[in-house]
Amino acid sequence: MLRGVVVEGGTSARRGRGAPRPRSVLVALLVALVTSLAGSAHADDEELDVAVSAEAAAAEPPPEVGAATSSPATKTRVRYTLEGIDLRGNARTSERVILRFVPYRPGDVLDVDDPELEVTRFRLLATGYFSSVVLSLRRGSKRGRAILVVELVERNTIVVENLAMGIAADEDQDGNSEPISPFLGIQMAETNLAGTGITLGAGFAAASDQFAINARFFDPAFLGSDWTVQANLIYADGRDFFGNREVSFESPLLEQQKVTDYAVVDYRRFGGSIGVGYDLSLATRILVSYQLEGVDAVVPTVASHFRGDTREPIDFDIHPGVSVLSKLNASLVYDTRDAPFLPRKGQLATLRAGFAVAPIGSSYGYGKLELGYAHWWTVPWGHVISLEGQVGAIAGDAPFFEKFYVGDYTDLLPDRILGLNPDRRQPPNLLDTDIVEVRYGDYAAKLEAEYRIPLYSGRDSVYGIDFFTGAGLYGVATRRDFTNPPSGYEGFSLAPLDLTYNLGLRFETYVGGFSVAFSNLFGLLPGRGGNRK
Amino acid sequence: MRWLRGLLLALAVMVTVTASSPVAAKDNDEELAEKKKRLPQRKAIFKQYKGWATMTVAWRDVINEKIRKKLMSGLPTTIATRAYVFDDTDSKEPVALSAKTCRVVYDLWDEVFRIEQRQAGRKRNTVAVNLEGVMRRCTEARRLALEQVKGLDEKKPYFVGVLVEVNPLSKEMLERIKRWVSRPNGAGKVERGDSLFGSFVGLFVTKVPEALQVLMFRTQTFVPSKLPVIEDEKKKKGKKSRS
Repeated sequence: MLRGVVVEGGTSARRGRGAPRPRSVLVALLVALVTSLAGSAHADDEELDVAVSAEAAAAEPPPEVGAATSSPATKTRVRYTLEGIDLRGNARTSERVILRFVPYRPGDVLDVDDPELEVTRFRLLATGYFSSVVLSLRRGSKRGRAILVVELVERNTIVVENLAMGIAADEDQDGNSEPISPFLGIQMAETNLAGTGITLGAGFAAASDQFAINARFFDPAFLGSDWTVQANLIYADGRDFFGNREVSFESPLLEQQKVTDYAVVDYRRFGGSIGVGYDLSLATRILVSYQLEGVDAVVPTVASHFRGDTREPIDFDIHPGVSVLSKLNASLVYDTRDAPFLPRKGQLATLRAGFAVAPIGSSYGYGKLELGYAHWWTVPWGHVISLEGQVGAIAGDAPFFEKFYVGDYTDLLPDRILGLNPDRRQPPNLLDTDIVEVRYGDYAAKLEAEYRIPLYSGRDSVYGIDFFTGAGLYGVATRRDFTNPPSGYEGFSLAPLDLTYNLGLRFETYVGGFSVAFSNLFGLLPGRGGNRK
Repeated sequence: MRWLRGLLLALAVMVTVTASSPVAAKDNDEELAEKKKRLPQRKAIFKQYKGWATMTVAWRDVINEKIRKKLMSGLPTTIATRAYVFDDTDSKEPVALSAKTCRVVYDLWDEVFRIEQRQAGRKRNTVAVNLEGVMRRCTEARRLALEQVKGLDEKKPYFVGVLVEVNPLSKEMLERIKRWVSRPNGAGKVERGDSLFGSFVGLFVTKVPEALQVLMFRTQTFVPSKLPVIEDEKKKKGKKSRS
């Protein structure tokens, strides 16, 4: 398909009897017309295949009037010896940071046809430090020498990285949703700290009786090397809600006793992680990190609930009092998406592994493995289809905040924000299974398909608006669901599976991506069938 | 079931949006054919020369201040022009294509523009001493061969759709750049929004344009049988010398 193909050898093609139909030419023009009329920069990828029939070749077209004739004296390949690099307009960003993205040094022979010149421009734009980058050459001090001029316009580098807000909900005795509290999460960052290219960010999340703050540091070129370094700090003062039905508990804290429907765990987490990353190739990135956290939890002294038809003690998956989480993590990411927010094609594969054991100081001993794969395709009529699969498993005794939370797999409950869990509801249970007995699991899997319809494509501040809708099947299970499943369930209902769906709009803008999803609105609709209590 | 209402509502919205989506228009081809006809029109001169339908037209306005600066930058500028001949009565598919490419590099030391022209399978290198020379060679078509007259229906009206791109990116380059841009360092979490009022992911998304400048226009129609015929200049000279 055509994607702004440089026409290397212009020729004339015709559609005659027996001559190949210029199908791709048609595609090329149609695409060009659509993109132009819609103000789009997107196009298809078909090669421009200009077929020249034998008949046409025999009847060579006459040259244009005034067309120049070749002369051995004329040359178009121009090379200079690079005398220097002149950076202009970088008031805040240090030269060292900019030159990291310029693959030329004084003394190099600069071929003006080198494609790296164009790539350099986009590399600089991709940093996010500049709104405009223009490259040009000017004469050097001696014949044959040139100076590469890089004109830059710096942009605001304080950005809102993540913003999430909504209403967390509970359920009444009939299983109807009851909004309980709003929640808000915001993460901001300065992505070019003092012109060094280092990102320093901070986040804040608040929900009913809980809050969390975090700080983030990221150096994309540690000490000028190809290695990235990142560090995170987090403090969370949170609470989580346990128990399925008819929960009874004794708690040492008065506040915990106020919530009568759930056994509440109050906890504080403080710690962080530090890691290094390296790009193995253009599409592959590896990251290794170490996470250390202190956890102080107040757990009900005794608690039980109905799991299925049987009253059982509640396992809170956390050590009462002070404990330590010490964990090593590694991740491998393969990313060939053509855009970060509204990809039209490409793949994203992730492999994450982590383990925490006593010899490295952890109070919790477990291993965690997660695999994810997503693929995007553009169908011939311009819409986008994606398929996404995730699987994860935990072996050992992980704290609950490290386990797989159902809300992270269904679109009908809010995700965790900076580790906080604002929502008390059980999953919707559209398939009527024992998924309602699970809040945190040791195993999780999800298969989801999404369909996107581009509604608008532009070149100015809004690059694109897509309508999206998706649906998927997911499952979250504890180890006990396999060894000792909840009583009262039979056959298919013993499989802790559920459906999820979502729809909304996604906006890709100059400052980032923005989603308006309606899943939680549906989630607030009464729809539990009264099966919780 | 009550949950079904939510699902049905979702499906209803999806169907509505799908139906109203311009991209999903059923009669896409006809719509595009209409759009082609609505492109800004430019007057061109059509003549018949050596049995070919030729066109003379200019698109100098593609060179704006930004392109002018780019031409003077010492780095290469490519001006790619494609002229598609359409049947005016059935403009879904072009019947012929002519392409012309100019690659211009300003030589800082010789102070000339070095131009590489590619057209109709021929490659020519030339120089221009000023921008006017560049524009004359690269933003004008003078008797550009479109198609052999016998290859066209002599009585049908045709028009030419012209697409001019300045510095179009090759497919490989575009892919490479997009990958670079799609994974900005320090990017925040990119996941679908899941809250009631939405979510925001602050990435510095840089749009990669497929060309620095794009210009499209169409010409008035011409009928091959009514094209004025230009006599072959060589034959003309031969006749004169014989006389």
